[in-house]
Amino acid sequence: MTTAVAPPLLEDTKLGPKAGGFYRRQNIWTGLGFGIFLGFVAWVVSHATIQGSNWGSDMVVTCTMLGWVIGFNVGMGTFNAPIRWMLGHDQTHEDELYAAGVSQGSSRYFKFCTDHKVVGTQYLVLVMVLFAVGGTLAMMIRTQLITAHSSFLDPQTYNAIVTVHGMVMIIATIIMVSGPFANFIMPIMIGAKDMAFPRLNAMSFWVVFSAVPCLLATFFLGGVNAGWTTYAPLSVQAPPAMDAFAMTIIVFVVSVTVAGVNTIVTVATMRAKGMTMGRLPIFTWGSVVGGALGLYAMPAFLVVMTMMITDRATGTSFFVPEMGGSQWLWENIFWIMGHPEVYVILIPPVAAVLEIASTFARKPVFGYKVAIAGFIAIASLSIMVWAHHMFTTGWAPNLAGPFMITTELISIPTGIIFLCTIGTLWRGSIWTRLPMYFVYLFIWNFIIGGVTGIYLSDVPADQFFHGDMFVTAHFHYTLLGGAMIGATAAVCYWFPKVTGRMLNERIGKVAFWTIALGIQVTYFGQFWEGFQGMARRIAQYNPQFQTANQMSTIGAYILMTGWIIFLYMMLNAWRRGKIAPANPWHAKTLEWKVPTPVPLENFVVDPVVTSDPYTYGEGVPDGQVVPEFAPTKEPELVPAGSAASGEPTATGGTN
Amino acid sequence: MSITTTDHDDAHGQDDGAHGDDHGHGPVVEGAENPGGPHETGYKRDQKERLMLWLLIGGDLLFLVLEVFTWFYLRTLNTSGLWNGAQCTTASPCTDGLGNPITSPIAKADPKHAIIIACLSILAAAFVWMSELAAKKGSAKRSVAGWAGIALVFMLAAVAWQIYQFQVLPFTTIDGAYASTYEFFMGSTLAHLILMAFVGTGLWIRAGKGRYQGGTWYRVRLIRFFAVWIAVSTTVLVVVAALFY
Ligand code: HEM
Ligand SMILES: [Cu+2]
Repeated sequence: MTTAVAPPLLEDTKLGPKAGGFYRRQNIWTGLGFGIFLGFVAWVVSHATIQGSNWGSDMVVTCTMLGWVIGFNVGMGTFNAPIRWMLGHDQTHEDELYAAGVSQGSSRYFKFCTDHKVVGTQYLVLVMVLFAVGGTLAMMIRTQLITAHSSFLDPQTYNAIVTVHGMVMIIATIIMVSGPFANFIMPIMIGAKDMAFPRLNAMSFWVVFSAVPCLLATFFLGGVNAGWTTYAPLSVQAPPAMDAFAMTIIVFVVSVTVAGVNTIVTVATMRAKGMTMGRLPIFTWGSVVGGALGLYAMPAFLVVMTMMITDRATGTSFFVPEMGGSQWLWENIFWIMGHPEVYVILIPPVAAVLEIASTFARKPVFGYKVAIAGFIAIASLSIMVWAHHMFTTGWAPNLAGPFMITTELISIPTGIIFLCTIGTLWRGSIWTRLPMYFVYLFIWNFIIGGVTGIYLSDVPADQFFHGDMFVTAHFHYTLLGGAMIGATAAVCYWFPKVTGRMLNERIGKVAFWTIALGIQVTYFGQFWEGFQGMARRIAQYNPQFQTANQMSTIGAYILMTGWIIFLYMMLNAWRRGKIAPANPWHAKTLEWKVPTPVPLENFVVDPVVTSDPYTYGEGVPDGQVVPEFAPTKEPELVPAGSAASGEPTATGGTN
Repeated sequence: MSITTTDHDDAHGQDDGAHGDDHGHGPVVEGAENPGGPHETGYKRDQKERLMLWLLIGGDLLFLVLEVFTWFYLRTLNTSGLWNGAQCTTASPCTDGLGNPITSPIAKADPKHAIIIACLSILAAAFVWMSELAAKKGSAKRSVAGWAGIALVFMLAAVAWQIYQFQVLPFTTIDGAYASTYEFFMGSTLAHLILMAFVGTGLWIRAGKGRYQGGTWYRVRLIRFFAVWIAVSTTVLVVVAALFY
């Protein structure tokens, strides 16, 4: 190990007074200001010219939303670089350092900042906000359902809430791991200085940010009463809120697409010397496969939502049978997007779970290559199963059998990934810290979610279950119990790296048990409702379903309590938690070898990788547990170029 | 994970984003900065952007496939007889989107326009290619920019013609599935062509500033890939729309 002379920190670079150009004056306030301004202009103009004609209000809403999104991104600086490219006025090195946030302190979190760690943190906060919004809506739903004929919400509002709850959660879960962790952690894991396209990275964040107000605006535009799947003809007939809803998705698609491309290119081209594909940490693989699958799914979302807008705002008839359209067209394209999308959600957190299991069992990922093959197999199969959502719609009954078989086939690679997780833990000397608790919970929940999926893929059984609460329970066990709990494990695991602080695990365990209990009570309640035959998405129900509903609602309140405790733990630790050492879990992957806080461009000295990602046992006698880490004093926050802990670091030496 | 460290004392700037600069390699033409840094040559950046472009084209291909799927799906279903209303008569009228009777088949759009637009996009791609070849040969920047300028003219002409075609269609959006899908094709072509024209403008301006001199011709190749893709996708839509009324 050589000890390099610490080079000057990039953060300390003195930039000229003009570095950054327009970026100097752009931040979230100019974004909001310009977005509101352009949205308003679009509204005034379209109102004056189009309102009153056929489909006038749909046009007006579409234009207004478009104005807002474009204006916001102009105000943020999303388009600076492409326009400067076009004019041949490329950004200079100084401009780029400015855009990366040099010498802007915490104000860079409110700007178009290209540093992947800033983008990751921005995503993390956005995801938390989205979950808070979606969770609040969920609690309103469950509160409404506490008695059979509750009038807490009127049916129209109830439907609007159910729809937005669904879509907020879908958006949040799609970005919950690929946003924060594939951005913050993954590049460091592979020894890169940043993502392949830092500006696209910042763009993906601010674009999805600008989509959120469109979605929330639906409440003020009459509400979307069609459910998150917005099936035609309900969606074609819905109030103008539906146009804002479709615009949300269109904008979201742009974000997910560029993010997916960025992830793939980063891994393909930015790996450190010696970081061969076979040495990539498993989380990296998960991010790549998830990104690629997203790239497959998003065009379908774009097509179908654009057609929805043209149907509503220009009178086309893609989904209107009286005029030559077909609802099956909607359902097909929607689910061609929709089923791959659930794996876009699932694969990255599962990969994170494997990563965490390996660290805490102090063993390599069991069946590393098999797990990668499993991810790829899941991704490939998942594009061939979409019609299992359409068994009861009357579309192509002859294809029900084949789609049942492809769906059931998916459970094979899914099971293999599962075995890899359990195999990784098997006979490990498991160090049960907070992230591991959530790994166990993931395993428990995901078994239930997966097994009930197989019931649903059975065509005859689905005749009974389709459209009832059993489906709701199934996908909450997979999405919340599986994917989101996996993401929660990831949060606990990487929190010290991202924030430089340790979580308070005592509070964390209280949160954990509350959440674990809440999930079981809530969704067992919903399975019960489903077995009894209660339809989903209804505001009032027959009294025979009341006990099961009350169980579910009580569970939901427990669950909410758990999340609030968890959130408290996070925010508290973020502000005044114990300062984290660079590598609190004694993990082997590269992100733990750089100091915390991670310097701009991560590695001052380029790392060269010389072994597989999980070299446990080296230096520790077999089977011996690594002593639990207990910081005796707050480790100093050492600048890059020296080391933060006693461990060798990638930044040029030991201390 | 074991790592060793190599010493090198330079921490350099961010990589460029979606659209790179060209002066990582060869003579620096404007300004002395070198954002690519000494480790990332312009060529390395080009490699990344090429991969990005192929991935985006892959996504766009799916978009295209779904558009074409929609065309054939609705055409096959012919729900309510209103693919193109071939059997709508005064005796048994169909209804348009506003509830008015349709008593005769929806007129077929004149394929002339679509074919012209496809040809313009193909010519644009060809001239981008010429520009690339000129840059590769090391021709003067005037010639690189000249070809790029011609390409840009064709791109703008294609955009203009696509807008014009909206004015002369024999049907409107409310005339059933054929009309809907046809106009959707046009809208999607227009969006692609506008994007193309944006990139084409950049190519022209930058070529004029000499950005593709000195061995960075492969930056034009990247744009050529895109231009060829736009030409291909435009042509596919035109062929489908012209042949399968
Ligand atoms: C063993 C694997 C799985 C199988 C066999 C399976 C099967 C199914 C089937 C057949 C349905 C349609 C039910 C109906 O509407 O009648 C369904 C719905 C659903 N599944 Fe799964 N599933 C599996 C795993 C997952 C995973 C891992 C996720 C998410 C991470 C997921 C998310 C969903 C969602 C969101 C829906 C409902 C969509 C809606 O109608 O709103 N599933 N599943
Ligand atoms: Cu599915």
